[in-house]
Amino acid sequence: MIHLYGLVQQLEELPDVPGVGGAPLERRRIEGFELVVSQSKKELQEVSEKAVLTHATVVEELMGRSRAVLPARFGRAFTGEKELSDAVRTKAAGLESGLTRVRGCVEFGLRVLAREARRENSQPLSGREYMRARLAEATERDRLSEELHEPLTRLSRTSTRFGGAGAELLQAAYLVPEENAVAFREYLRGLETAYPRLALICTGPWPPYTFADEGEDPRERSA
Amino acid sequence: MSVRDEHELKYQVTLVELVDRVLNKGVVLTGDITLSVADVDLVYVGLRVLLSSVATLEEQREISAAGAQL
Repeated sequence: MIHLYGLVQQLEELPDVPGVGGAPLERRRIEGFELVVSQSKKELQEVSEKAVLTHATVVEELMGRSRAVLPARFGRAFTGEKELSDAVRTKAAGLESGLTRVRGCVEFGLRVLAREARRENSQPLSGREYMRARLAEATERDRLSEELHEPLTRLSRTSTRFGGAGAELLQAAYLVPEENAVAFREYLRGLETAYPRLALICTGPWPPYTFADEGEDPRERSA
Repeated sequence: MSVRDEHELKYQVTLVELVDRVLNKGVVLTGDITLSVADVDLVYVGLRVLLSSVATLEEQREISAAGAQL
């Protein structure tokens, strides 16, 4: 079985870290693409926390040593060299545009949580008043999430919003050119001060996992 | 919430975000990516719990900040 970590461009040398299951990292060149893989004799791949962290560590290490990294999802391993090269050939166009898209960028994740507004007056509302209040609340949430999201998109090459459920006001990922990464973080820090009633959870810089596959939930993806 | 708890929470949030990316994002080359993992559901349960802890943490911060001003 062959486990794929990702596609790279101009990788200097393989990082000195073990692959999944302790297997050594190997390079492949298929259709002009550079791939980083490891092999295992196991038929079934174990999806343990350790295996996921190993995969992530390899991808992270590749980020520092390549011009571009297109991270692979931790999925079913390839049964052999032929399956791998066939898959690369089939997806060649998407892989090429993916590499171009993520080159020179890192990813940031953002979750914004709004705390429940405390009811100031406990007077019961009529049905109509209740519906009106709910509607006003929803409109305000939309306005606020757009107000938070929009300036961040301007620092990004592209971005994706996910359907924030429940307490989440905004859940998004941003593909940020490396030269904007510091400005991006500073802007977020400013938001924390400007919106004390919101909890902002920013993670990153990540390898560009969210932007690796085109057509994956492209909802509201902006250029 | 102590500094240590906060540190632990940050670690957990980062871990959940990481696992989400590695298992659910990234480029897919294999036709099927069906993984028989019960773990994946657990990640989401974990995330909901984590998010509510973050909200609680922020709330406590606000309360203690208000207390300090009095």
